[in-house]
Amino acid sequence: MTARLRHVYGASPLHLFAHLALLPLTAFALLQIAGAGNATRILLWLAASAIVHDLLLLPCYGVLDRLAQRTAGSAVNHVRIPALISGLLLLVYFPAVSGEGNGAFHRVSGLDYEGYLERWLLATGALFLISGLAYLLRGSRR
Amino acid sequence: MTPPPGPFRPGFWRSPLRGPWLTAALGSVLLVFVAIVATTGFLSHAAYEPDLGRNAIVDPGADLPLVFDWPTRPRFLYAVTQGLHVNVGLVAIPFLLAKLWSVIPRLFAWPPVSSPAQVIERLTAGLLVASAVFEFVTGVMNIQYWYAFRFNFVVAHYYGAIVFVASLVLHVAVKLPVMLRAYRERGTLRPLREDLAHTRPEPGAPDTPPTISRRGLFAAVGAGSAALLLANAGETIGDPLRRLSILAPRRQVIGPGPNDFQVNKSAVAAGVTEAMTDPGYRLTLRGGPEELTLSRDELLALPQRTAVLPIACVEGWTTTQAWTGVPLAELARRAGVAEPRAALVRSLQPRGVLNQATLNAGQIGDPDALLALRVNGADLSPDHGYPARIIVPALPGVHNTKWVGSIDFEVPA
Repeated sequence: MTARLRHVYGASPLHLFAHLALLPLTAFALLQIAGAGNATRILLWLAASAIVHDLLLLPCYGVLDRLAQRTAGSAVNHVRIPALISGLLLLVYFPAVSGEGNGAFHRVSGLDYEGYLERWLLATGALFLISGLAYLLRGSRR
Repeated sequence: MTPPPGPFRPGFWRSPLRGPWLTAALGSVLLVFVAIVATTGFLSHAAYEPDLGRNAIVDPGADLPLVFDWPTRPRFLYAVTQGLHVNVGLVAIPFLLAKLWSVIPRLFAWPPVSSPAQVIERLTAGLLVASAVFEFVTGVMNIQYWYAFRFNFVVAHYYGAIVFVASLVLHVAVKLPVMLRAYRERGTLRPLREDLAHTRPEPGAPDTPPTISRRGLFAAVGAGSAALLLANAGETIGDPLRRLSILAPRRQVIGPGPNDFQVNKSAVAAGVTEAMTDPGYRLTLRGGPEELTLSRDELLALPQRTAVLPIACVEGWTTTQAWTGVPLAELARRAGVAEPRAALVRSLQPRGVLNQATLNAGQIGDPDALLALRVNGADLSPDHGYPARIIVPALPGVHNTKWVGSIDFEVPA
């Protein structure tokens, strides 16, 4: 019986039971979203999360990385790592750095996102400076 | 069946670093972070006590039974759980991206499915990736007040989390044998000891020369996490570290005065400017034999207590101040309710879902739970809730209702 299930289903019965136990929970949560206000927009953002990451963000930084490999040669990691950190800071703090989030932020708190772009630029410069110095140091030791 | 050209062909993916060990190692680190973020997230849901009064933001009839009486001790409890939720969430982002990078060729596996089990697995993986990215994107946008998604954040983030956790549990259960085999075959940490010259491709990975070692990759991802953490953590720890976090939304130090600390919602934003300056202000206490009204001077004449307590916001920032006011238990006693089961606190704030909050019995009974009238030795400023505000140890920030107009004590049944 187990062997037959494994042959037809392609995995152990436990695999099937685990999915039958937990997929209804995800269906429950998705149903609650479908019943919430602006449900279409939430579901759209959910689907877009996977699509934008897998088919846009990841290929984009893949191409940038290939470009860095071709142009920087043996110094590639000295470009890659500061670029990665700076890129992550921009990606995560984009609402503050770009000022896109300033409207609601100012409305509730009376404060503004002042100097965020400037500090991100300075941080980026500092990261490349440290990385460049490390490259020089590595070269001189050799 | 020959795969179509492009990413479906094995030669398309060039990194020799990819493979079961790398995915297992990145996944193990990510799993620890996600476990912390998910646990503290569900704890925050419980801390709002959705079973009391009108506290619930998601429909209580369609909620998981995860609610319990949120304690008041230690007083930094919510600051810690929510600080972990936000900051560990930020730390997890580079590891999530690296983990997804390590498995991207699997998205283009050919043939796409070969058994019913695989159909279910790929469906679960789709739900997992979508909900994971969705949770981090909405969380990161919310801490910076960028509501471009234009849906209810709490509802979407909460149910999204349930999809995320359920599909993650399935994913871990299915992949655990693969993970353990990778650790057994390659050594749990051994690949981290190899420098670039000794970095070999994992079985099945292309034999192109590596440009970075595996430990180099981990160091780069870890450095990304450290940068995101340092850029934010100061707003969680509070002064004097606040300003060191260069991109934290709440990094501003407002001034040296007693009321110069972060405001979640200003009086202007809440629309209470007139009500709170009115000399005819009266606090109404209900629940006892008869309604009791007290002016601010009468409140100041009652026994006062000072407590140093944090306001910890769901967005992960904290500010700790010395508050002075009347203990809530004292107000309940004066109202004629000896041991209230709960208390509904209403604000003078005319609109908004958070213009009221219901406190549990333990929260009313804590000696440091106050109706605060003063802060750091001065009268509360309008933005901090003048004429009177609630401050309760370990209570989520927004439930510390400002501009309190009335308190309804619930008599035990």
